[in-house]
Amino acid sequence: MIKSIDILNYLSENNFELSTGVPCSYFKELLIELDKSADIQYIAATREDEAVGIACGYYLGKKNCFLIIQNSGLATIGDAFTSLAQLYEIPLLIFVSYRGLEPDKTFPEHVIMGNVTEAVLNAYGIPYWNMKGENWRKILDEALERMKEDSSVVCILVEKGVII
Amino acid sequence: MRGKEVIASLKEFISDDTLIVSSNGNVSRQAYNFLPQPQVYLRGSMGLPMSIGLGLALAQPEKQVLVITGDGNFLMGLSSMTTIGNYKPPNLKIIILDNAIYATTGGQETVSSTVDYLKLLEGFGIQHYGSLNSIKSPSKLLEAFEILLTSKQTTVLHINVEEDIENLENIPWQPKEIKNKFMEKI
Ligand SMILES: Cc1ncc(C[n+]2csc(CCOP(=O)(O)OP(=O)(O)O)c2C)c(N)n1
Ligand SMILES: [Mg+2]
Repeated sequence: MIKSIDILNYLSENNFELSTGVPCSYFKELLIELDKSADIQYIAATREDEAVGIACGYYLGKKNCFLIIQNSGLATIGDAFTSLAQLYEIPLLIFVSYRGLEPDKTFPEHVIMGNVTEAVLNAYGIPYWNMKGENWRKILDEALERMKEDSSVVCILVEKGVII
Repeated sequence: MRGKEVIASLKEFISDDTLIVSSNGNVSRQAYNFLPQPQVYLRGSMGLPMSIGLGLALAQPEKQVLVITGDGNFLMGLSSMTTIGNYKPPNLKIIILDNAIYATTGGQETVSSTVDYLKLLEGFGIQHYGSLNSIKSPSKLLEAFEILLTSKQTTVLHINVEEDIENLENIPWQPKEIKNKFMEKI
């Protein structure tokens, strides 16, 4: 389990000043902490593709924004990836909740996307990491390095209960 | 007036401190051809120019951010206007070039003529200059541009323009080049 405040401190140390997205219950604690944060502002977007637009605009203005979304949003977001973030080679860090796994079977609305989440990311050509456990800093270090080196979108998958 | 003439007449109001985001298709080609370069010329991401403008305005509060969008793009990204209405960066300005068609793809009708833009913007809590009909009153445009670009709050200007499906040449810069040139100028 990773404490929300630790993640936010990490992101703030890595020069992120803005965040945006559409909530997922897996990020409830993180979003509460974000609301209290003096270092990172959160913009409540109405859609995930809008959130990509905001983050890309912020980057073009020379500042860094990350996204927090549910994996269902990976389906909404397609054209914003392929014809904006990826096309213009804009680095973008996205936390994606990994819903639809075994303990989520009582939420059928997440099952199909849960089954194809990694295939969807592979199809977009987006590198991803499943962040859990003690080595989360190392995972984020690696993801951010890849994001900067390739000027690319990177996703961090977050399963239920990982961020508290 | 046609959209491209409206865009060309914006030129004298654009300074080094104006950052322009233009929507995909004809609008960005016109911005590329008729306004000072470099700017953010969108090749795709239909519906997102206002969101990109919001992000840019938040990152660069000292500069004026001007989004020039077609009606098709504006309507596709309509929900992003609620976000803009909520955060209201004072340096964000939006011009809607409403030709009531998807000109870039051959002139198919949009449903734009159904919309009462002023009521819509009021509903979002966004300051608007009004709706201008460039066909009936082109002389009011310059005054409106002046007010828009000197306004101290998020402001939207809706302009009815003539149908014009003439396509300009594609923008020769590759997207990555657009990004690099734009970011170098800031
Ligand atoms: C998601 C998506 N759907 C469709 C298109 C095809 N397309 C490109 S430009 C355009 C029309 C845009 O209309 P508007 O913003 O009104 O600008 P205009 O062409 O009238 O200048 C469309 C439909 C696209 N690029 N992306
Ligand atoms: Mg149009």
